[in-house]
Amino acid sequence: MGKKSPEAAGRRRRMMYRALALMLAAVLLLPLVPYAVAYVGGITNPNPGADLWRQVRQRETPPEVRTQVRGVDTGVLINARGESWRQFRMEQLIPWSGWFLGGMLVAIALFYLLRGRIRIDKGRSGILVQRFTVNQRLAHWFMAVVFTILGLTGLVLLYGRFVLIPLLGPEGFSVTAAACKEIHNLFGPIFPLAVLLILFYFVRGNGFRGVDFKWLAKGGGLLGGHASAGHFNMGQKLWFWGTLLFGLSLVVSGLILDFPVFGQGRPVMEWAHFSHGIAAVLFIGGAFAHSYIGTLGMEGALEAMTHGTVDANWAKEHHDLWYAQMEAEGKVGAVPGQEAPASSGSPETAGG
Amino acid sequence: MARMKFLCDAERCIECNGCVTACKNEHEVPWGVNRRRVVTINDGEPGERSMSVACMHCSDAPCAAVCPVDCFYTTEDGVVLHDKDICIGCGYCFYACPFGAPQFPTAGAYGSRGAMDKCTFCGGGPEPDGSAEEFKKYGRNRLSEGRLPLCAEMCSTKALLAGDGDKVSDIFRERVTYRGIGTLAWGWGVAYGKGGVRQSSGLGGKASSTKE
Amino acid sequence: MKLMKKTAGAAATAATAGGAIDRRTFLRRSGMGIGGAALAGFLPGGTMMRRAAAAEPGAMAAAGVETTRTICTHCSVGCGILAEVDNGVWTRQQPAFDHPFNAGAHCAKGASVREHGHGERRLKYPMKLEGGKWKRISWEDALNEVGDQMLRIREQSGPDSVYWLGSAKHNNEQAYLFRKFAALWGTNNVDHQARICHSTTVAGVANTWGYGAMTNSYNDIHNSKAILIIGGNPTEAHPVSMLHVFHGKERNNAPLIVIDPRFTRTAAHADLFVRIRPGTDVPLVWGMLWHIFQNGWEDDAFIKQRVYGMDEIRKEVAKWAPAEVERVTGAPEEMVYRAAKIMADNRPGTFIWCMGGTQHTIGNNNTRAYCVFQLALGNMGVSGGGTNIFRGHDNVQGATDLGVLSHTLPGYYGLAEGSWKHWARVWDVDHEWLAGRFDQGSYESQGDKQLKPMNTNGIPVSRWIDGVLEDKANIAQKDNVRAMVFWGHAPNSQTRGEEMKRAMEKLDLLVVVDPYPTVTAVMHDRTDGVYLLPACTQFETYGSVTASNRSLQWRDRVIPPLFESLPDHTIMYRMANKLGFAEQLFKHIQVNNDEPLIEDITREFNKGMWTIGYTGQSPERMKKQQQNWGTFDFTTLKAEGGPCDGEHYGLPWPCWGTAEMGHPGTPNLYDTSKPVAEGGLTFRARFGVERDGVSLLADGSWSEGSEIRDGYPEFTADLLQKLGWCDDLSAEEKAAAEGKNWKTDLSGGIQRVAIKHGCAPFGNAKARCVVWNFPDPVPIHREPLYTPRRDLVEQYPTYEDRKLFYRLPTRYQSVQAKDYSRDYPLIMTSGRLVEYEGGGDETRSNPWLAELQQEMFVEINPKDANDAGVRDGQDIWVEGAEGAKVKVKALVTRRVAAGVVFMPFHFGGHFEGKDLRDKYPEGADPYVLGEACNTAFTYGYDSVTQMQETKVSLCRVYKA
Repeated sequence: MGKKSPEAAGRRRRMMYRALALMLAAVLLLPLVPYAVAYVGGITNPNPGADLWRQVRQRETPPEVRTQVRGVDTGVLINARGESWRQFRMEQLIPWSGWFLGGMLVAIALFYLLRGRIRIDKGRSGILVQRFTVNQRLAHWFMAVVFTILGLTGLVLLYGRFVLIPLLGPEGFSVTAAACKEIHNLFGPIFPLAVLLILFYFVRGNGFRGVDFKWLAKGGGLLGGHASAGHFNMGQKLWFWGTLLFGLSLVVSGLILDFPVFGQGRPVMEWAHFSHGIAAVLFIGGAFAHSYIGTLGMEGALEAMTHGTVDANWAKEHHDLWYAQMEAEGKVGAVPGQEAPASSGSPETAGG
Repeated sequence: MARMKFLCDAERCIECNGCVTACKNEHEVPWGVNRRRVVTINDGEPGERSMSVACMHCSDAPCAAVCPVDCFYTTEDGVVLHDKDICIGCGYCFYACPFGAPQFPTAGAYGSRGAMDKCTFCGGGPEPDGSAEEFKKYGRNRLSEGRLPLCAEMCSTKALLAGDGDKVSDIFRERVTYRGIGTLAWGWGVAYGKGGVRQSSGLGGKASSTKE
Repeated sequence: MKLMKKTAGAAATAATAGGAIDRRTFLRRSGMGIGGAALAGFLPGGTMMRRAAAAEPGAMAAAGVETTRTICTHCSVGCGILAEVDNGVWTRQQPAFDHPFNAGAHCAKGASVREHGHGERRLKYPMKLEGGKWKRISWEDALNEVGDQMLRIREQSGPDSVYWLGSAKHNNEQAYLFRKFAALWGTNNVDHQARICHSTTVAGVANTWGYGAMTNSYNDIHNSKAILIIGGNPTEAHPVSMLHVFHGKERNNAPLIVIDPRFTRTAAHADLFVRIRPGTDVPLVWGMLWHIFQNGWEDDAFIKQRVYGMDEIRKEVAKWAPAEVERVTGAPEEMVYRAAKIMADNRPGTFIWCMGGTQHTIGNNNTRAYCVFQLALGNMGVSGGGTNIFRGHDNVQGATDLGVLSHTLPGYYGLAEGSWKHWARVWDVDHEWLAGRFDQGSYESQGDKQLKPMNTNGIPVSRWIDGVLEDKANIAQKDNVRAMVFWGHAPNSQTRGEEMKRAMEKLDLLVVVDPYPTVTAVMHDRTDGVYLLPACTQFETYGSVTASNRSLQWRDRVIPPLFESLPDHTIMYRMANKLGFAEQLFKHIQVNNDEPLIEDITREFNKGMWTIGYTGQSPERMKKQQQNWGTFDFTTLKAEGGPCDGEHYGLPWPCWGTAEMGHPGTPNLYDTSKPVAEGGLTFRARFGVERDGVSLLADGSWSEGSEIRDGYPEFTADLLQKLGWCDDLSAEEKAAAEGKNWKTDLSGGIQRVAIKHGCAPFGNAKARCVVWNFPDPVPIHREPLYTPRRDLVEQYPTYEDRKLFYRLPTRYQSVQAKDYSRDYPLIMTSGRLVEYEGGGDETRSNPWLAELQQEMFVEINPKDANDAGVRDGQDIWVEGAEGAKVKVKALVTRRVAAGVVFMPFHFGGHFEGKDLRDKYPEGADPYVLGEACNTAFTYGYDSVTQMQETKVSLCRVYKA
């Protein structure tokens, strides 16, 4: 085919973005579907052992027990925390996260409707500024891909029972879920690498400075007035540190969950699941906002992560302090081997 | 409708592990997977009591509730079973189960779990009753043969009872009546050593008067 | 969208269409049945199961599946098993709900016997150790080589240099044949595990009232008003017996008393637990009796009528006031008083003991003290009372009865010339020829009389190592033992591991006949001269087996022998063939394809076992009972109606007279409330009719329906003559009975006539509390050889050393003289685990059991653990007082008292820290190996039977 035509590249990009958005939407809207399946109603025939077990359960410290059967937790007579874990998962994590993620999307949609796309006020200057190096972009997209895979498979495991079983049937969903579990477990151990790369390539410039708090006070400019920012604004910095925090949490809990071969008992596993679930949901919610603002929500933002460059006007409007610094260092317009994107398509294209 | 239940009478359980090996025997359960186990509290000290634990076939089974693929089902007899073809081996049922019933053979990458295995109340699985595939995956299906779980049937002291919940309750209640010491099924309050023997032993009377 | 049975719809249709009862209907209809099954503890019958089988065979129960009735091969309870066999493969095991002993119940071992049909870790072929490597050889070669070496040893050193170590795992027929085999080889060096399990019981009990066996039955505990268990842990050793114990405990509200050094799992279910120092049973029992005498709780009428020598007991008991009891045993007065009072208040009470009582240098004193206690309370000869001695292995009772012992012939006939003549008659061999088979030298004398080896006790199994290692000059036989045949015996069940290893290495020939290689294959460093011959298990052959309660059950073959294994009796035939006495050995026993006919063997011992009534249990009667075991009552063991109407299950011996006489068996010994013909009995007149002018015969007591309404001696042809009952004998009987007595009359006429007149053939005497022919006529306390209580040694010293005792010098005083307690401060004791049995080679090779006990351990009190700086789960050394040591895991627990450590004895395959796994023949190593605790156990043997002292020794522990 030879050299890619810019137009074809744009179409492909468009398609990719749309597919991605659709998948996200599908996954996120699913929890809003009311529980499709009800349990078989409890049969009210009393269990003769119930009194006995209640006695066991109500003891403050579970009695220490021995058993000849070896294995994880065989020496635990009763796992009373299992019930609270079930509560957490079924009555808090699943519905609340559904509302949270769904709410996030609704909020973004509302924001889009109300605020619309944030344009480059002054239009494109055609002058480019190098924003991210190749390595930074590779790290970012590496993270993005791993994150998306893990996030999607995780969400399937979280909500699939209620959303996908009605669509795929139990056997069909089982195959999907088994694949998701395997993929999740296989990609899981790669995730720490992604987190490390992010830390390594993005830690510079993510320190907090006074100006960041002013930026925050002004709501990033949404609450009126121009909010000054350096290379990264407060939102991005929070996102960076959030990534590290959630990432660390997910890595630690994920590794515990992924390798149940070190004799870790149920309390540990339940705790890991608890933090894994919460961190993942928050992270995914953050990723929605991040993806929105990096693509549809703001003109001229995505190219920073695709081409590594931004338009000088975009830089002035969103990262004025950084732009000033770049200008002082004479780095504006000096992008080796790159053309300005402005010449290669309509603004629409950049927005995807 | 019958509602199958296990009940372990801790006053009688002697931790002989007969139930454990009976289960292995009937279902050819491999080394490392134990559908049933006997746990002992206060091991070696006054108040020592044992009881045999396996899946209790809960009415509102936590395992079924948390299963991400919904592989559990409750039979008409109230037996909680699962479909190993659907199970993805995530382990959630193990976290939720109060009794530690779900077992996972190690299979696959990173020692990840294979399909869950647990007590079936000797009720097999979704495959046709008594079929070879059912035996391979779930073990024998005694219920379909009109038999009860082998662990209970072979219990050395009949401590482990299995069957319709009402009947099991009746048997247990009858025993408690005979023992005449109230409902000390668990035995927290059994007098030990200093507590002396039971009232009804007639210790108050003159010994010679009890001679025949 | 809920999951359902995949073919639920189809199955339901099929079920209704076929007119069969579907599962749900069945369950609904049999609501009663469900309860019944679970209730089986109380109401055996298992109606539900049989109905189910009839109504719905089920898909798995396809045609070709046969159900075999057989008997568990683990312990002496004798649980019934239903084995389902599909084309020669043992596919399933079903509970035998209608079996009178276990009502379908099983312990871990019983519930896993089907694994025998897998036999993965079995010894599969004959093997020979050659240059340190195991080499597979043919049966032919193996028997030829072994036989040639034995004959050479016989030539050089006499028949006594080959030791025939038999087994409680033989069935009765094999056990009998084994004893006969040794006799025809010409030696009394034949013995089995009974020596190290209940020999002191047999000796002590038989010398008290006639027979050395459990007097009542497991089932009879249902009738007990109190249950006392001393030195026994039935929840682990005999779990199904607890079904009966709980029955008595719950239905009768019978208090359960457990007396033990260790807070056993049995103690956990007791109403009263009394902890004693190991080896102080006599003081404890006398302490209880002290309270009984003090308060006048004894049964005076019973003692007057049926007990001899209680006054001498009173004198000894008087020394055991509460303070002294507490000083010696550690049990406080209040507990001892309470135990005594419970037993006095709740009669009849049963008295149960096991190896905690027997395995001591004074084991025979212990067992006799227990008997005396029951006599004092009048608890003997009544249902619900008795001494319920739980035997160990499945057929240890049978093997004992059939004389696989170095001091007796089958039926406890002894080794005197008359005994040999009796059996020579039964065997139809010439007595002179038989005598000629033995060594003709003389190495022992009694008074002026020189004794021949044929008439002297052989070396007991507990001492075989001394038979090898002791200086030839000190042994009462021609030469040392040079060849050992371990025919179903685990060496790790015996003490003095280091010396045993040396003995094994010194032997010329070491032969193992066993389904498993056993520790015998690996514990020594031999490189040659070891043969492993694969025997099959009892599930691969058939025959009768005697449970602890003296019931004989017929055990059917489940599967054909696995691999190249052969049944024991076939091996005996082939070996006898090689050794040249097969013709005499099988004179009246049919042999088909090298396999002697089991039924013929049964019939042969039926012809000679008059002493203990092993005469009425013909194969036909036993088989009929086995097929109808469901007709016997769960408590009385009596069949009500049906083909066996009126018989007791297993025809518990004595089952008097010939099979044709139809005696129903004796469920409870010495029970005078029934006619002898229906299982009643008196105490046996075994010890003469008078002593020092005092009559030993019963005084005003006789069994129901007896025509002699007072004591009487044992029956002889002469006595019949005097009584004028002679004409009741048929002409044939008369001819056979001429000059004979009830034990030697092969026609059974004397027994028949005595019973016809309501009399016990063995007489009607008193039980004796004073066994004047024993070292301690009145049971007294003696400190163990290795005792931590040096302060008591002077007052309660052990015996003098003996020069010749069972052919060997036996040390007592010279061992006790040295104080080991400073270097070895902890008492060491041993016992069983429920998952394993005996030396454990069989059970540790069963994965279903092995998974449950993967590590050898020692129980140690937190105090001792802290003193030694040991944490729970750590590896530690336990070093016995003689220096041998074992490396085991510490289990820190209060189950044992401070100052006492406990180890289970089933492990083997490690030796003093070394793992011997690679020494096993390939694929025949058990799943679990571990140190044998007996490696560290020490010298010490009972003064009557040579029982080893494994329940009390000294040790020290330190971190490994």
